[in-house]
Amino acid sequence: MITLTHFLVVGACLFSTGLYAVLSRRNALLVLVGIELMINAAIVNLVAFGRYDKSLYGGQVFALFAIVLAAAAVAVALAIILNVYKFYKSVNPEDISNLKD
Amino acid sequence: MPAYTLTYPLLAALSAVLLPFAAFLLTAVLGKKAKHGTISIVAISLSLLAAGYAFTQVWGNTPIHIQWHWFTIGRHAFHVGLLLDNMAVLMLVLVCLIALPVHCYSIAYMRGDPGIHRYWAYLSLFCFAMLGLVVADNLLLMYICWELVGFASYLLIGFWYTRDAAVQANKKAFIVNRIGDIGFLLGIAILHSSFGTLDIQALFGPQGLLTAPMGADTPAIAAEGTITSGWLTVAGLAFFLGTMAKSAQFPLHVWLPDAMEGPTSVSSLIHAATMVAAGVFLLARVFPIFDDTTLLVITTTGTVTAFAAAYFALAQYDIKKILAFSTISQLGFMMVGIGIGMYHVALFHLVTHAFFKCLLFLSAGAIIHGMQHAKEKHQLDIDPQDIRHMGGLRRHMPLTFTTMLIASLALAGFPFTAGYLSKDALLVHAFEWAALHGEAAIAIPLVLVIVSILTSFYIFRLLAKVFFARPSVLANNDIHIHEASRWMLAPMAFLAFCSLFPIFTFHPLNDGQVWLLHGLVAEAPTLPPLRPLHILVPALATAATLVMATLAWRWYVNGHYPIRTKGVLYRLSERQGYLNELYDAIIVRPLLKLSLLLLWIDHHVVDGAINGMATAGRSLAGIAAWIDYHLVDGLIRLVGNLAWGAGHVLRRSQTGRVQQYVALVFFIVLVILLYHIFAQA
Amino acid sequence: MNPHLLTILIFLPLAAATSMLLVPSAKKAAYKYMALTTGLLQLVLSGAMYHLFHPKGAGITDERLYQFVDHVPWIRLDMGSLGRLEIDYFIGVDGLSMPFLFLTSLVMLIAIGASWHVQKRVKGYFILLMVLDMAVMGVFSALDFFLFYIFYELMLLPLYFLIGIWGGARREYAAIKFFLYTLFGSVFMLLIIVGLYFSVINPETGAHTFNMLHMMDAANYVPDSLFSAIAQRELFGMPARLLGFIVLFIAFAIKVPIVPLHTWLPDAHVEAPTPVSIILAGILLKIGGYGILRVCLSIFPDAALQSAWWLGLIGVVSITYGALVALAQRDLKRMIAYSSVSHMGFVLLGIASLTAAGTAGAVFQMISHGFLSAALFFLVGMLYDRVHDRDIYHFRGLASLMPRFTVFVAIAFFASLGLPGFSAFIGEAFVIIGAFNAESIHGLLPRWMAISGSVGILLSAAYFLWTLQRMFFGQPRLKGGVEWAAALSDASPRETLIMVPMLALAFLLGIYPALALDNINASVLALVELVTGN
Repeated sequence: MITLTHFLVVGACLFSTGLYAVLSRRNALLVLVGIELMINAAIVNLVAFGRYDKSLYGGQVFALFAIVLAAAAVAVALAIILNVYKFYKSVNPEDISNLKD
Repeated sequence: MPAYTLTYPLLAALSAVLLPFAAFLLTAVLGKKAKHGTISIVAISLSLLAAGYAFTQVWGNTPIHIQWHWFTIGRHAFHVGLLLDNMAVLMLVLVCLIALPVHCYSIAYMRGDPGIHRYWAYLSLFCFAMLGLVVADNLLLMYICWELVGFASYLLIGFWYTRDAAVQANKKAFIVNRIGDIGFLLGIAILHSSFGTLDIQALFGPQGLLTAPMGADTPAIAAEGTITSGWLTVAGLAFFLGTMAKSAQFPLHVWLPDAMEGPTSVSSLIHAATMVAAGVFLLARVFPIFDDTTLLVITTTGTVTAFAAAYFALAQYDIKKILAFSTISQLGFMMVGIGIGMYHVALFHLVTHAFFKCLLFLSAGAIIHGMQHAKEKHQLDIDPQDIRHMGGLRRHMPLTFTTMLIASLALAGFPFTAGYLSKDALLVHAFEWAALHGEAAIAIPLVLVIVSILTSFYIFRLLAKVFFARPSVLANNDIHIHEASRWMLAPMAFLAFCSLFPIFTFHPLNDGQVWLLHGLVAEAPTLPPLRPLHILVPALATAATLVMATLAWRWYVNGHYPIRTKGVLYRLSERQGYLNELYDAIIVRPLLKLSLLLLWIDHHVVDGAINGMATAGRSLAGIAAWIDYHLVDGLIRLVGNLAWGAGHVLRRSQTGRVQQYVALVFFIVLVILLYHIFAQA
Repeated sequence: MNPHLLTILIFLPLAAATSMLLVPSAKKAAYKYMALTTGLLQLVLSGAMYHLFHPKGAGITDERLYQFVDHVPWIRLDMGSLGRLEIDYFIGVDGLSMPFLFLTSLVMLIAIGASWHVQKRVKGYFILLMVLDMAVMGVFSALDFFLFYIFYELMLLPLYFLIGIWGGARREYAAIKFFLYTLFGSVFMLLIIVGLYFSVINPETGAHTFNMLHMMDAANYVPDSLFSAIAQRELFGMPARLLGFIVLFIAFAIKVPIVPLHTWLPDAHVEAPTPVSIILAGILLKIGGYGILRVCLSIFPDAALQSAWWLGLIGVVSITYGALVALAQRDLKRMIAYSSVSHMGFVLLGIASLTAAGTAGAVFQMISHGFLSAALFFLVGMLYDRVHDRDIYHFRGLASLMPRFTVFVAIAFFASLGLPGFSAFIGEAFVIIGAFNAESIHGLLPRWMAISGSVGILLSAAYFLWTLQRMFFGQPRLKGGVEWAAALSDASPRETLIMVPMLALAFLLGIYPALALDNINASVLALVELVTGN
């Protein structure tokens, strides 16, 4: 039987994978993919916990809301990356260190 | 009671005083235009007339006193006024009578001097001060004139101001006189604080606060004020100090020989007849103040002075210095007269001495004048005042010789001269006084006898060397010393007449009949007369004079000179007892050293302390600044530096790498989570 | 009679200074003529006041006996629990101050005359001179202690700049020394003023007051206040009133000056330009003596009585010490500066005697020294202007080169050394007589003080005559040779015009001292009565 724990394990795996991608990839696009993975891990968790709200289906509603948000975020992020690329001729986050002191 | 209306005698006396002052002002304003001295001579002649009139009106009558309010200080009013009593009018006439011949003499003597207009101005100023002194009715006014006399003599002594010796001498004269002035001023202060008045009549008049029977220990204690006998002595000594300086008493006489640097006519007026006599006059004025102690001091000082000066006169070569010491010696005689209480006799001697000493100086001036002309004419390298260069002048200047001889005889106290009357009277009275004052007191008249013998000797030495001895410098060529001019001889002749007995008494050998003596004191202070002395002393003195004259003749004219000039006693006399050197060593130089020391102290100690405080203040400020900079400000900077250092360390985390930031955020969130988990557990 | 005559006298120079501000700096000549006009006006005004002054107006403690009084409220400030602040514009004149007002206007006029050839920053110079003039006049007439203090401090400022900018080689040192010395005294004076303020009550309004006349009346003191004579409070282990007296005395004594607080004087005199030396010696020193009489003696009579002996001692020491140091000087100006120390010592001795003769003598001596020292410094200035040297040893036989100048110097010297017929004699003689009388009147001063004081008269003769002999007599011999002989021209008409009135005044006061004494007497008697009670 698939219990809540399984969902959470899958979510955690997804999150970890995403986090790893965010922290280690040298390509902004792949970092973006990592972020998406982390959002999806949250969505999995939302859907899993949505089981306990049978009356209002809060979990599902939030999941849908999050998917939409993620899509919007991706659009914005891609636009940023595109502009960054135009400016720096690179999508490697390590090259973009203007915030450095 | 002072009068308030101006009667004729008062008016005459007042004009006698003020005329010379007017002459002084006029001459001073006219400056170089007043060369002939007409103004001064007219003024002093008129003064003489006025004084003569006042004399005839006042002599023998009751004193006249007038005063005007001068100023008030606190509650004490001070007055200016004239007091005309016998003493005052006598002096008034005397001063004019001496001053007029001197003025006339000066016309010839000072002719051609480039500064002659100043000479006349100074002379008139001097006469004004001296005349003011004798008629002043209170001690303050008298003090003022007293100092003005000193000031005028300062000007006259330093008349040839380009000569260093003259300006040294006038400085010395003024400063020594200042010592006396302080005494006078202190005397005034003592009397003022005790009696509240300085009026001469109120203090010393017949009913005065201080008038006491002769020789009484304590003076009358008046209602208005009292004085303890101690302070009375001090006051007497203070007045006497004033006199010592002005009348050149030992040891303050040192200024007078030096003052001979002035023109000889000046010396004859002020250093023989008037200024130096002012001291005697003052003592006679304030006579009631003196108690026995003071009188003894006066007598002793007078005797010492008379002896020392006569001794110093023995070996002098400067003709004027000899006369100067003779003056000092005779002043000593007058002091003795005051000291033994016979102040009228002292004043009498003052009068006779004024005539013959003035004459001596004028004659000496005539000689110097002649010598000076000879020196200039023949280009001689001599000091015209040195008696060693003279000799045989009798033939060149017979008239001068005659007058000088008369004056010298008067000085020596030869019969038929005025000097005989007064000096021998003093000697006799000194013996009478000594008889009353124990055995030791006999020393005083004995010393005085010795002094008269010395006096005879030095004056005949002078005469012999100048007029009789073989000419030294003058012998070499046919130099002719011309006789003095008429303007000089006439005054000398007049004074020569006054040096003889007739104007004082018709009895040439008896001083008891001198009209002056009877006028000066209402009831003559008497000493028990010792009859034999009245014959013995004059006889002895005359004999001694003759012996000395012979001696001088033998030594100096015939050339039997027995004295070693290297002897101690001789040199002591020649160098005036080394007193000047002594004063220089024990007073002047230590004083200058002290002043330099004080200057050093002022610079280094007083100012040093101030500058030290300033330096200390600045050092303190430096320390404060250091603390401010390093401690207070340091603390502030420490805080800043800490913040800056922390930032410097932490900035390393700002790599600019987004991923690292995220990792950090994740890590921190993780830590917070773990903390929460374990905290709850 | 205009009731505000005194106010006009004080503020006339200020008006002149203001109008000088309006004149463009290029017109250099205008300033001196404006100053001269002001000086003349002031002299006429003060002369008229001197003439109108009633000799019976004793003043001292009684406002009704003051003349030319101007008394209006000035500052009224409610200070809550501390009461109402009461400061008046209160000025008036009595016998102590009247002669000094006249003296000030005369000396100022002379100083202006002596400034005729000032070339450096003329505008500032004359404006400062005018401000100084106003402050000095104010000090001599203020009767409110606060007002007095303001004028007193205001005086320092122009002097500091006058010495510091127009002075000689070491002018900055001298200016700072002068400033700090005086400030040292006056700062502590301020403390005493505040202490007095809180001790004294105006009997009419019940408020604390700065009115000096109220401070002189023991009845106006708050019973338990610091300076109350009845309470006898102590401060730092000594009676508070004595301490107050000493502090005020030191403040004024620095100005007098006394030994050993005198060392600012030679430096300031030597470095100051001639006109400022004239003002310093002629007026500034007198403020010290005036302050002691007006403030120390009148407000703390009991303490003055206790300290008379010490005051007399300080006076005697100043007399002899100043004279001896003057004897050792080579610089003519320094010599005269030290002679001032000596002569002002007489003032202190006279004040300490607390007798009518001594105190009147002291006031007279101050007036006399006022124009005699002004004359002396002017004479030194004349010599310095010509050859820029003042060393006594560098000159000899000046009498042959500059006869008229020598006559002036001789008269001024003899007048200063106390020759009768000149004013200094009256001053010094009565100080000595007064000091001598003190023992028999109230026994405050021993007689040896008077005797030692008179030694100063002797010493003054020594240093003046020595200088006269050394510099003026003998054959001419100058350090600068022919060049100097050419430069040493005799006194010019302008210089003669300045010298003659001063010496004439010294002579006039010497032969007719009643001119000044008549106006001084009543006040001096009232003061002596206030202090000694008889």
